[in-house]
Amino acid sequence: MPPGRKRRAVYDAGSARQLPGVLVREEGGRAVRDRAVNEAYNTSGRMYDFMSRTYGRNSIDGRGMRLDSSVHFGVRYDNAFWNGSQMVYGDGDGRIFNRFTGCIDVVGHELAHGITQHEAGLRYQGQPGALNESFSDVFGSLLKQWVKKESAARADWLIGAGLFTRRIKAAGLRSMKAPGTAYDDPIIGRDPQPAHMKDYYEGDEDNGGVHINSGTPNHAFYLAAAAIGGYAWEKAGRVWYAALCDRLPPESSFSQAARVTAAVAGELFGRGGRVEQAVKNGWKQVGVTG
Amino acid sequence: MKITFERSGGFTGLRLAAEIELAMLAESEFGRLSQLVGDSGFFDLPEQILSKERQPDRFSYRLTVAEDGRTHTVEVDEEAVPEKLAPLIGWLTEKVGPKDISR
Ligand SMILES: [Zn+2]
Repeated sequence: MPPGRKRRAVYDAGSARQLPGVLVREEGGRAVRDRAVNEAYNTSGRMYDFMSRTYGRNSIDGRGMRLDSSVHFGVRYDNAFWNGSQMVYGDGDGRIFNRFTGCIDVVGHELAHGITQHEAGLRYQGQPGALNESFSDVFGSLLKQWVKKESAARADWLIGAGLFTRRIKAAGLRSMKAPGTAYDDPIIGRDPQPAHMKDYYEGDEDNGGVHINSGTPNHAFYLAAAAIGGYAWEKAGRVWYAALCDRLPPESSFSQAARVTAAVAGELFGRGGRVEQAVKNGWKQVGVTG
Repeated sequence: MKITFERSGGFTGLRLAAEIELAMLAESEFGRLSQLVGDSGFFDLPEQILSKERQPDRFSYRLTVAEDGRTHTVEVDEEAVPEKLAPLIGWLTEKVGPKDISR
């Protein structure tokens, strides 16, 4: 395959848990009747385009790897994941969650896990795990902003807006702008994400709270992007992308991420300049010192 | 018999947790659940069943079964769930609804 070509395949798992399932749409193939299939196909393609046009990246592995997705995984499955070689989406239970392919940032999030695996390889535990989660939220959100052509000031910075059914009182699943405020609902409770290190989750569930503590680096990114202004993918996104690809080791801590992103910002946009300052301030405001 | 079921992680990070006292269940559910616990060989399962390489956004489960004075807890990663334990986890996930979401 020539480099720089987008290739996609979508499979139907047919409510089973066997992967990948039956091939239902391939690159260049027509839309099918199944919405989940078309969403997985279209949005993974948009993520390919976004990463290619903004950062010059050729797919998940940087070498044109085919983007494989399976939809209808399991029965009423409330989840989406990256299994090490493909994206997988559940239909949601219909009571709390809608189908997971319906949100552009969810698809971006899962695909970004593949990129992280091929780049920094952040270990999925504790702080490196929360950074792994955060990079997926960052690039998932940036995909949404890029598609909508929204500046940092105009973007909602929500992850999973529209993922909850209407009976749940929620703006979304996570808020990068205001972690801990995405939902507050009598059925599902309150968004547990900490915006600041002082509220760091120390428990052992969820691989040491990777989906909880990601709120803190998420907010640092938001603060940096908001201070820089303009389109977040152009400067803050570029800094985070370069850090992910070239600088962060698998066991990175939040402090290391703060040091590395500040250094990269200086290298890319001028030492001691506005971008570097914004990145440093972002981390500082969430209580992470480099 | 009492079963404690906890699920954490997943893309949503939404936690599920419930305690099920089997004596409180309807007869059909009682029968089905007892059978699933038996079929899983629960008391012979290791305390930790972990995947070598964690897959991002997968669930983690913690199950405790207390019966006749013995108690056993199993922590298991979704991608490492043994075939004979999968039906029990599937049943519990269906049974444990929104009311059992906690944090
Ligand atoms: Zn994730």
